[in-house]
Amino acid sequence: MAKLSYEVARDELAKVVSALESGGLGLEESLKLWERGEELANICQEWLDSARAKLEAAKQVSDE
Amino acid sequence: MLETSAEKPVPVRVVSEAISDYINRLGQIWVEGEIAQLNDRAGSGMVYMRLRDSSVDMYLEVICPRSVFKSIAPLTENARVVINSKVNFYTTTGRLSLNAQEIRQVGVGELLARLEALKKLLAAEGLFAAERKKPLPFLPRKIGLICGRGSAAEKDVKENAKRRWPSVQFETREVAVQGADAVIQVSAALKELDASPDVDVIIITRGGGSFEDLLPFSDEGLVRLAANCTKPIVSAIGHEQDTPLLDLVADLRASTPTDAARRVVPDIKEELERIRQLRNRADQKINDRVILEMTKVVNLMQRSFASINSRIMRASDELNHMLNQVRALSPQATLDRGYAVVQKSDGSIVRTPTALAKGEALRLRLAEGVALATATGESELDRIRGE
Repeated sequence: MAKLSYEVARDELAKVVSALESGGLGLEESLKLWERGEELANICQEWLDSARAKLEAAKQVSDE
Repeated sequence: MLETSAEKPVPVRVVSEAISDYINRLGQIWVEGEIAQLNDRAGSGMVYMRLRDSSVDMYLEVICPRSVFKSIAPLTENARVVINSKVNFYTTTGRLSLNAQEIRQVGVGELLARLEALKKLLAAEGLFAAERKKPLPFLPRKIGLICGRGSAAEKDVKENAKRRWPSVQFETREVAVQGADAVIQVSAALKELDASPDVDVIIITRGGGSFEDLLPFSDEGLVRLAANCTKPIVSAIGHEQDTPLLDLVADLRASTPTDAARRVVPDIKEELERIRQLRNRADQKINDRVILEMTKVVNLMQRSFASINSRIMRASDELNHMLNQVRALSPQATLDRGYAVVQKSDGSIVRTPTALAKGEALRLRLAEGVALATATGESELDRIRGE
């Protein structure tokens, strides 16, 4: 699976939260959603970390 | 009218009589002019004069009885007079003359009054109006100069002009600037210079003089001519306090010939200095502008950096929030208490042991992760549930 863009991953994560909140889910589904949620959160985190790194790098250049 | 032909001519006497009749109809008239020539021979009962028009070259003979002549203050040539006379044609000599019965001198007071009247008339016609004044060219190609022969005024204008702009060019007309010939000569020069293609401005100048000396520059004909000129005219006549009518109709009145030169010709040194200063100011302005733009760019960069930074932080917060929610809504709490969820490899949850075959792969979802296991095949059903 190609890596999702930040927005897409975040939006899907939001849907996961919504689904879990609305309740009425069986254990299987809850588990599935939870795991998917963790996965999506990881993707988002990777994106944010790399954005921070880029910004840091640019700041260093302009500070010179 | 006389009817004549080559075959039917009329004799001299008829012509002379006819002329005489015609002339007599003029009757008694008051004539004004200047005494151009005076012939006062002692012993003669008559004084002979030539009377000239004040503005143009036209003459009449005047015969004046000595008694009439003596009745006023001594008259000299160039004096302005008014004569009450009868025009007479002498059939014997075939000459025409005015027989003077009374002579009066036109005094300064009278002349002044006439000037005032003329001034009012011309003003009423709008000839002095500010809207008529033409602007002077910044740098004239040629300056038309009307001045007296070898006069100080001419020298002043030319020297001052050349000092300010060494390569200035003049088109000079040296004329009579007082007396009988002044009006005609100045007018002719003015016409010429106004028509000359390279001349961009005309200066009319003469030095100081008496009221009579400057009178030509208040002559109605000359003043009207100047008013209708196409090129701008600078008038520098006499001293500061003199105001001939030409001053009023000129596009610029200069107080002296030197002043005229200054107003007509820019000072080259001054102009170069002014350009230099403008250049400096322009350079300065551009410099300031560049610095201003650079500051703007740096500002924008700082703002965009801050903007992205805060977005990342908000996203991070949001992410943490959502993760916490996911975890809170998940079975995690239950798992933390020691429970495990047993799943088959397809993810389906195992609730009854009989569903498992020996050796089947199992997925154990524990509080802190996943473990893989294999079913041994042995199982035990809870009795209560089974029934």
